Amino acid sequence: MGQITVKSVSWWTDRHFFLLAVITYGLSSVYSLFLWRKGFRKHDHVNYALLLAGIILQTKAMFMRGLTLQECPVHNLYEAMTFVDWTIVAAYLVFGLWPRVRFLGAFAAPVIFAIGVFALMPGLDPSHTGQPPFAANELVSLHAALTLLSYGAFGLSSVAAVMYLTQEHDLKFHKLRAVLAVMPPIDRLEKITSRLLWAGFVLLSMGLGLIPFLLKNRPELHASDPKVVWSGLVWCLYLALLVLHWRFAQSGRKFAWGAVAGFAFVVLTFWGVNLLSPSHRF
Amino acid sequence: MTLVVIGLSHHSSPVTVRERFAFAESALPGALQEMRTAGLAREAVILSTCNRVEIYAVSDSPEGQAIAGLRQFLLDYHKFEGSLGGEIYGRGGRQGLEHLFKVACGLDSMVLGETEILGQLKKAYDTALRLKHTGALLNKSFQRAFNVAKQIRTETNIQRGSVSVGSVAVELAEKLFSSLAEHPVMVIGAGETSEKTARALLSRGARSIIVSNRSHDRAVELARELGGRAVSFDDWAHEFPHIDILISSTSAPHCILDRAKLEPVMKARKHRPLLLIDIAVPRDIDSSVNFLDNVYLYNIDDLQAIAGDHLRQRREEIARCEALIAQKAGAMMPRSARPAGGPLPDLGNAST
Repeated sequence: MGQITVKSVSWWTDRHFFLLAVITYGLSSVYSLFLWRKGFRKHDHVNYALLLAGIILQTKAMFMRGLTLQECPVHNLYEAMTFVDWTIVAAYLVFGLWPRVRFLGAFAAPVIFAIGVFALMPGLDPSHTGQPPFAANELVSLHAALTLLSYGAFGLSSVAAVMYLTQEHDLKFHKLRAVLAVMPPIDRLEKITSRLLWAGFVLLSMGLGLIPFLLKNRPELHASDPKVVWSGLVWCLYLALLVLHWRFAQSGRKFAWGAVAGFAFVVLTFWGVNLLSPSHRF
Repeated sequence: MTLVVIGLSHHSSPVTVRERFAFAESALPGALQEMRTAGLAREAVILSTCNRVEIYAVSDSPEGQAIAGLRQFLLDYHKFEGSLGGEIYGRGGRQGLEHLFKVACGLDSMVLGETEILGQLKKAYDTALRLKHTGALLNKSFQRAFNVAKQIRTETNIQRGSVSVGSVAVELAEKLFSSLAEHPVMVIGAGETSEKTARALLSRGARSIIVSNRSHDRAVELARELGGRAVSFDDWAHEFPHIDILISSTSAPHCILDRAKLEPVMKARKHRPLLLIDIAVPRDIDSSVNFLDNVYLYNIDDLQAIAGDHLRQRREEIARCEALIAQKAGAMMPRSARPAGGPLPDLGNAST
């Protein structure tokens, strides 16, 4: 691989936009708390508008970073996190066009906000100057983008699963909120969870499917790299969840818990595995 | 010229009295024409439902005289010779207008906040409008009433939540299933409440209904009415794996469904969500089934508790609604109190 010149990154500018986006996501989270206190009885136009405003700011930030790097901005943990965050918001905004599932935003906002805050933590966005970027060729960029998109889909599926669990609990225990809340029916939430998991699984499979080609081109990478092993584990975990759901009719609460646990595992181990991996910066 | 309203409602009189004053739909044109020909009203609308009979009119006479004249018309038209106390009420001016708004909003209804009355009021107004018995003042008053009803529906919680067992069951079903058309319903025990609940489900899109009853003839009769099919009472369990909503109201002295019976059925139905509505007393379904995954059991107390909570919340909204109505009526009064400038309705063109 030839030497790649990395232009200096005006990090404060794009980070400033991302900070504004995270503040908007924070406002959306606060509004979600208000909706929760009110028993989820109000429609969710405000959250949709706030998340839309947030993604505009975040897209601007990502564009600025991408234009500076002249590449897809997926080179470090900060950029990876912003990519996952962006995917979750974008997927929600598409789903939210359908009014009956727009309420997903009330549950998605805190997750989006938390990931945004995590991305802004110091030390996750080291300067690119003098370092060849990780995603310095198209194949690596594609691999990174596909896997990060899959984590976004898994994230939104876990949000739908949390909504399912909330509504299921309220119905099971005869809470008045079950009938008063403007939440989608649980069979629709299960469908959304399942479809997002399938989408995430397909994206992850495509992303991981590129690994053999990457290994050929990048001798410093190994199949035994902790990140590669971890990714394989995540892939197996979601495969098991989907097979159990599809083939053995494991539906409802267990499936929803599986979706939540799967994403919790990804989120909680992502950083640590990156620290263990010598060849991955995210 | 002033707006007056006279009539009887479920608040003021029992059904035995109200039914004596009810207007058949076919009699409305004649009654409206008669009232105007007699000079009792320049404009008039008659509202006749199972819970109220009311005449909304615009008269040149002073309020008290107009109300007395319309009251006598009501008695004479229905040839009522008995004695009445306060069954027939009369309101004029701003009070009459506020009454119209309250009726439109369902605040004066037996089921607080119900919306059926708005449709009935629109129909009564359309009839009078079509027959040219309305004019500037009634047109404006009714149009404003419809707007106020819409505003109250969107800005307050007076119509939120179901307040009957049947409609609560439907709401619960809609929280489980996105389309009732795809989820078969079974009714065990063809009692009145289960029939109402099944009808409520049908009205919201349920298509496939199976009825089972100890008296098979009654099951066949109800199934025919509901557009479903009847199964023998001994065979209902065989149909169970295929259904997603069960309404049970048998008179059995013991539970007909418990956890031991349901567990294998849930496996056979691949753990699809199952809504069990038990409206029987004593209960038909053992409460332990609610511990099974994907099973949602509601008995009559649960349904009534939800309906009661909804009703309580609606009652809490009354003050807000009344304040809004008073404001809207007040805003309308100064102008409406003045003589209308437009042409008066033409009696001669009124069809009968």
